[in-house]
Amino acid sequence: MTRQTRTQKLAHLVTVSALALSVALGVGAAQAKEFLLGSELPLTGSLARVGQGMQEGIAVAIEMANKAHAGKHSFKVETIDDETSPAKAVAAVEKLVGDGVVAITGGYGSNIIGPASEAAQKAGLVYITSGGVAPELTQRGYPTFFRINNTDGYALAMIGLLQEIGAKKVSIVYLNKDATSSLAKQVGQALTAKGVTVGTHEFDGSTSDFKPLINKVKLQDRPDAIAMVGYENDYVGILRAAKVLKPTVKAMVGVWSLATAQMAKEFPDLMENVYGTSMLPYPVEFTQPEAVEFAATYKTLFNKDPDYLGQFGYVQTRLLIDAVLRADEAGTLAKGGLPEELRKTDAKTLIGRVTFDKSGDNPNFTHRMGQHQGGKVVLVWPKDDANGKMNFPAVPW
Amino acid sequence: MLELTLQALFSGLLAGGYYATVAVGLALVFGTMRVINLAHGELVLLAAYVAYAAETNYGINPVMAIPVALVIVGAASALVYALLSRIHQDREINSLILTFGLGIILTNAILSIWAADIHSTSNAWFQDSVVVADTLFAMNAEVASFVGGLVLMAGVWWWLNHSWQGRAVRALSSNRAAATLMGVNPRKIEILSFLIAALLATFAGFAIYTGKTVFPALGHVLTVKAFIITVLAGMGSIPGVLIGAVMIGVIESLTVTYLSASLQELAGMILFLVVLFVSPSGLFGGGRALAR
Repeated sequence: MTRQTRTQKLAHLVTVSALALSVALGVGAAQAKEFLLGSELPLTGSLARVGQGMQEGIAVAIEMANKAHAGKHSFKVETIDDETSPAKAVAAVEKLVGDGVVAITGGYGSNIIGPASEAAQKAGLVYITSGGVAPELTQRGYPTFFRINNTDGYALAMIGLLQEIGAKKVSIVYLNKDATSSLAKQVGQALTAKGVTVGTHEFDGSTSDFKPLINKVKLQDRPDAIAMVGYENDYVGILRAAKVLKPTVKAMVGVWSLATAQMAKEFPDLMENVYGTSMLPYPVEFTQPEAVEFAATYKTLFNKDPDYLGQFGYVQTRLLIDAVLRADEAGTLAKGGLPEELRKTDAKTLIGRVTFDKSGDNPNFTHRMGQHQGGKVVLVWPKDDANGKMNFPAVPW
Repeated sequence: MLELTLQALFSGLLAGGYYATVAVGLALVFGTMRVINLAHGELVLLAAYVAYAAETNYGINPVMAIPVALVIVGAASALVYALLSRIHQDREINSLILTFGLGIILTNAILSIWAADIHSTSNAWFQDSVVVADTLFAMNAEVASFVGGLVLMAGVWWWLNHSWQGRAVRALSSNRAAATLMGVNPRKIEILSFLIAALLATFAGFAIYTGKTVFPALGHVLTVKAFIITVLAGMGSIPGVLIGAVMIGVIESLTVTYLSASLQELAGMILFLVVLFVSPSGLFGGGRALAR
C-alpha cells in the first residue's frame, strides 16, 4: 500500500467517523427536548404560605427530573402568582397557555382551582393539583383535570382516629370555604351514621377570636373531642381559645397544615398532643431511595426539611413529568395525548399509590394522622403506619 | 345561657378595644389631613413583624422592642406623609391611590423579608388565662392590650383637647386656611399627626403579635376594619372610634354565640349600614369631629 493510498484511506476513515459522529450528535440533538411546564400558585395574599410550600415541591421535582434525564431532556417551569384571586388565576392560566406550556401543575384553594382549571380545560391543557379537595372539582368531569388527593382521604383519616379513640360526642368547628365545608359535612355524616353525636359550628375566615364559639362548644355541646377543619391561622385561634376556656375534651383533632414541623416549631406550647393529618413523621424518616433523594434535593435547594406541601407539589409534578415523557415517546404529546397518558398512571409515590379514575381523582388516596409530642410529630393512625404511641386522653393545656 | 352572654359581652368588649387601637390612628390622620391612609394596616403589621424579629432573632420580650418598632414605623409613616404632601391636585382620590399602592409595597416587602408563615409570640405569659369570677375568660395579652389601648386613646384625646399642638390639629381639621392664618404651620402639625398615628399603629401591632397571629396578607384586612370603624364613628372622631369599635366587637361576639360565627362579619356590616342609614355622618360625625 502506497503512502498516498494510506493517506487517502485515513482521510476517508476520518471523514466517515466525523460524519457518523455528527449524525449521531445531530440525531441526539433532535431528540433532546426542553419541556416547559406552567404553574399558577398563590405566592402572595392569604394563601401565600401554602402556595410557596407547593412551589418548593414543584421546584424539587423539576430539579430531580433534570438530573435524571440530563443530556436527554430538560424541564422548565414558568410560575405565575395568582395572588390568591380566582380571577387572577384564570388570567395566569391564559397567559401560560399563550406561552406554550405543555401542562399546568399547581393551584391552591378549591374556589381558585375551579375557574383556573376550567380555563385550562377550555384550552385543552392538563391541570394537575393537590391544592383543591372539594368534591365538586372532579364532579365536573373535565378530562384534563387531575388531582392526587381528595376530601375522602382526609375524612377517612379523621373519622378513623375519632373512632379509634372512642369519641361518642364530637364538635366539628369548620371554616366556611368549599373544601373545609365539604370535609366537615362528610365527617359529620359518617360519624352520625356510626352513632356518634355530632355538633357542627361554621366560622368565617375573618374570625380571630374563637372564645365565644369554643365557649358554646364547652357549655352546650360538651364533646369528647373537638374536630377542627380550617387552616393554620384558624387552628391557632381555636387552640388558644380552648386553652383559655379549657373545655373537658379528651382530644383536639385537625386536618391539613396542623401536624407539621412549622407548627411544632412556631407554637410548641399550643400544639402538644394535638392531632392532624400527616404523611410523614417529624423529624422526617425517609427510607425509599426516591424519598431520600427528594429530601436531599429539598434540603439543598431550600436549606430545610420538606413538609407536606412540598411532598404533594413534588408528587403531582413528578407524575406529570412521567406522563409528558411517555406521551412524547408515543408521539401523542402535541396531539392532545397527555390526559390519556396521565390516566394510565399507576405509581407508588411519597403519598402512596396514585392512579386516576375517569374524573381525574385518585381513588387510592388515604391520609395518616400524626400527633404533636414533645416538639415531634408522631404517626399514630393507622396502626400499620404508626411510628409511636398515641397520647390519649391528652390536650395542650 | 347567662354564662354564654356574659362571655360574649366580655369577648366583644376586648375585641372592640383591639379594633379601636387599630382604627384610631387612621381616624387621627383623616381628621387632620382629610386623607384616608390605606397603608395604615400595613404599618400596624410592620410593627408586629419588628416585634417578631426582635423576639426570634434576639430573644427580646416583644414589649422591649417597642422603641425600635416605633422608630421604624415612625420612619415609614413619615415617608408616607412625605409622598402624600407632594399631591396637590385631587388630594382625596389621589391619596387613596397612593396609600393603597404603598400598602401593597409594604405587604410584599414583609413577604420578601419574613416569608408567608404565620407568627405569634412564644412568650407564655401573653397566652396565660385571666379568669374573672369563674365565668369570664381572656388571655393576658387581650386584657393588657385593652388597658394599654384605652390609656393611649385617652392620652391622644387629652393631647387633642389640652395641648397647643392638639388644638392646632383640631384647628387644621376645622378650617385649614383659618388655622394657617392664625400661625399654625400645617406641615409640622400634619407630620406630627402621622407620627402619633405611627405610635398608635406600633402599639396595635404589638397587641396583634401578642394576642393574635400575624401574616403578610393581614395588613389589608386591618385597614378595611379600621376604615369601617372610622366611618361608623364619624370620620375623625376619636371617642366615636372607641364606641363604634366596641359596638362592632360586641355585635360580632353575640352573633357568634347566638347565631353562627360565619355571620359575624355580616352582622357587623348590618350594624354599620343601619347606623349610616339613621345618621349618615356616623355616630359622632356631623362635620369636623376630631376629638369630639
